[in-house]
Amino acid sequence: MAAELTTTKLNAESHLLLDQPLLRLPHELARKNFKIVQKNVERENKDILSALKTTANAAFTGNDSGQTLSSLDNMINRMQGLKRKMVTLHNEEMVLHQHSRRRIQHLQDLYEIPSLADVKYDEWSRVRLNRLLVDYLLRCGYGESARALAREKGIEELVDLDVFVQCHMVEESLRRGSTKECLAWCAEHKPMMKKTDNRLEFELRMQQYIELRRNGQVVEARQHARKYLTQHASTYPKEVNRAAGLLAYPPDTQVQEYNMLYSTARWDVLATLFVQTHHELFSLPARPLLHIALSAGLSALKTPSCHSKHASSTANASSTTTSVCPICSTELNELARKLPYAHHTKSYVENDPVVLPNGRVYGRDRLLEMSVKVGLDPGLVKDPTTSHVYPASDIRKVYIS
Amino acid sequence: MEALLEEHKKLARKSNLSKSLEDVQNSIDLLVQARESIAADPNCARVTLAKLQAPVKQSFEAVNSDLKEVYKGLGNYSKALDKKFKDKPLPSTDHDALSSHPALINRAVAMHLLREGQFSVASTFLTDATNRPPHSEPQLRTPNSNSNPEDDLGIDSLKSEALRKQFADMYHILHAMKYERNLLPAIDWARANSKLLETRGSNLEFELGKLQFVWLFTGGPNPIDPRSRSQNQQQALQYAQRDLVHFQGRYLKEMTQLSGAMAFSPNLSQSPYRRIFHNEGAWEDLANSFTREFCSLLGLSADSPLYIAATAGAIALPTLLKLQTIMKEKRTEWTTQHELPVEIPLPPAYHFHSIFVCPVSKEQTTDDNPPMMMPCGHVVAQESLMRLAKGSRFKCPYCPNESRPEDAKRLYM
Repeated sequence: MAAELTTTKLNAESHLLLDQPLLRLPHELARKNFKIVQKNVERENKDILSALKTTANAAFTGNDSGQTLSSLDNMINRMQGLKRKMVTLHNEEMVLHQHSRRRIQHLQDLYEIPSLADVKYDEWSRVRLNRLLVDYLLRCGYGESARALAREKGIEELVDLDVFVQCHMVEESLRRGSTKECLAWCAEHKPMMKKTDNRLEFELRMQQYIELRRNGQVVEARQHARKYLTQHASTYPKEVNRAAGLLAYPPDTQVQEYNMLYSTARWDVLATLFVQTHHELFSLPARPLLHIALSAGLSALKTPSCHSKHASSTANASSTTTSVCPICSTELNELARKLPYAHHTKSYVENDPVVLPNGRVYGRDRLLEMSVKVGLDPGLVKDPTTSHVYPASDIRKVYIS
Repeated sequence: MEALLEEHKKLARKSNLSKSLEDVQNSIDLLVQARESIAADPNCARVTLAKLQAPVKQSFEAVNSDLKEVYKGLGNYSKALDKKFKDKPLPSTDHDALSSHPALINRAVAMHLLREGQFSVASTFLTDATNRPPHSEPQLRTPNSNSNPEDDLGIDSLKSEALRKQFADMYHILHAMKYERNLLPAIDWARANSKLLETRGSNLEFELGKLQFVWLFTGGPNPIDPRSRSQNQQQALQYAQRDLVHFQGRYLKEMTQLSGAMAFSPNLSQSPYRRIFHNEGAWEDLANSFTREFCSLLGLSADSPLYIAATAGAIALPTLLKLQTIMKEKRTEWTTQHELPVEIPLPPAYHFHSIFVCPVSKEQTTDDNPPMMMPCGHVVAQESLMRLAKGSRFKCPYCPNESRPEDAKRLYM
């Protein structure tokens, strides 16, 4: 067996490909948190200073002290409001820092594992699988399952339940035909979104416009367009033009381009667009990480034997001397069918391969071991796959190069 | 990783909101003070208010400079993250072959949860997945109206219920074995599946019986009590006569050992049979082989395929990523869609099937191009054989032996 075909070397540095979002997300959240603080402070800063000036001026021009006091109270109230908000956000910040810390530590653990064959690697990799599973469940919108798994496995600090649950709620509301939740989300994340030219909000406003037109509220539709759509005419000229044209076409129009605007499928498109925008904003990959890991893994493990018409002589379920191949196991077999199989440049067979009269190839030791285990006479051997019994003299050596 | 940890420590310690909070409190204090003095003496309102302007402004400036500090810290940590992951982009998911099979993935996940014994999570998941089957993904501008052919979960509820029951049984048996030292449920299971186990060449049933004998012999539930020794032995002997006798054909040698050990009973620990009777690992080993047999009878691998595949995937990704970069640079595509273009080294435990690569064509053999053994015992792929032979006698590429193509024999690896 050639040594270079296999490796147990663990290169932690390159092994972290799947783990970028693990650290990115809490950081993006911390940044969002900070932006909210900044916005609030900015607003209060401006308002309080100008209020203070006005009050001082008013006092000079002879306002009574009652009015002065009440405007001071007002300011104090607002500042206390700001403080309350900041305390909440500060707590949030500490939780996020704690998460980041834990996650860096978790990745650090990998650097201390000597090899892929180490038991510790097995443990680490199982935690990773659970993380990937939670990520997958969340992306499917199975928040309850994700929460249950995270709790069961004690990895709550390594996964981001709330972000995804919120994302999924907004997504579902769009699929139900409601723009309210998504617009609120846009408003909340506006400070972060400016830099990425964002189509989502425009499409949402467009949808509102379409709905107004659908209900025959032409006047309102026109007002809505003036307020929200015309400002985007330079960025999305075609769309704005088409929106204007929509006024002339009733919902039952046969003209395809307007018919398409009225289509309910637009809601699904919006939902997809939202999820895409959301994931980009938080540096999340577009697809579940589980997909990425699995498609690489399935191919790396798959062999031509896994979907062969003939039962493989190795790694099948019919004898106790081998363990079942994971690709042949029911869970993954169908899933792996369309994927490419692994590339090999050298044969990889059991030691001392021999062939039985039916053409099946086994390692001599395994064949003899099996025959002893089933209690056969020493002169006989049993094919572990087909259960045929042959005289031991029928075994032939085969030369595999 | 240490650099990142250090950077994050700095961020958490220095660049947090606590300082700006203090400064906000300062402003509040200033305002409250001013209010109190004005309330006490309304005449000083003008002066107090005039004096208040600058400090409040300053305290806001302090808040802002605190925030700047936080901003800087966040920026530094961002940079550290960028640096860490600069050469580790997420693999592209343009050719994600799995997205079109959400139901199959869900099935794999459900089976994984069941086999890991996560029954409550699994049942939550099944409810979730049944109530909200996975969405297909429409593209912007080209609304995708054709329905998804894999709408159902892939496992109907009945089948998953059967599977759940199977694994619940498995965990019940394992639990009894590991925590209560009770082999009886396992023995019952093995007896019920005796025929199947025997065809597989498994000696699980006998091994269980043997361990039960040893357990009884060494005192069963209360091993310390020396008074009951003879009684224990009596029990063990009875058990052997009743339940182990029919193994005599297949396991004569082991049976002889067991009965031979009886002679040494007062001090077994010094006898040659010590390893049979004092072997703590035996329970663990047997539990493992029980799990393997149990899963195999269901046609499943012993370790979760999802775990093995995801781990293999993580090991394979760096290589695949490198390949992707090279292909992008050279603007080439690999031509054989059914085979990966590059070899991926995995740990030995991740090799399951034998692989045969034809020494002539350097291709892996498949159903369409199977391995063929010439009479001399050397093997090549069928296509290579045909090319070598051109229908007539030909020489083996490895030895002087000559043969005809029809003499070659198909092999099953």
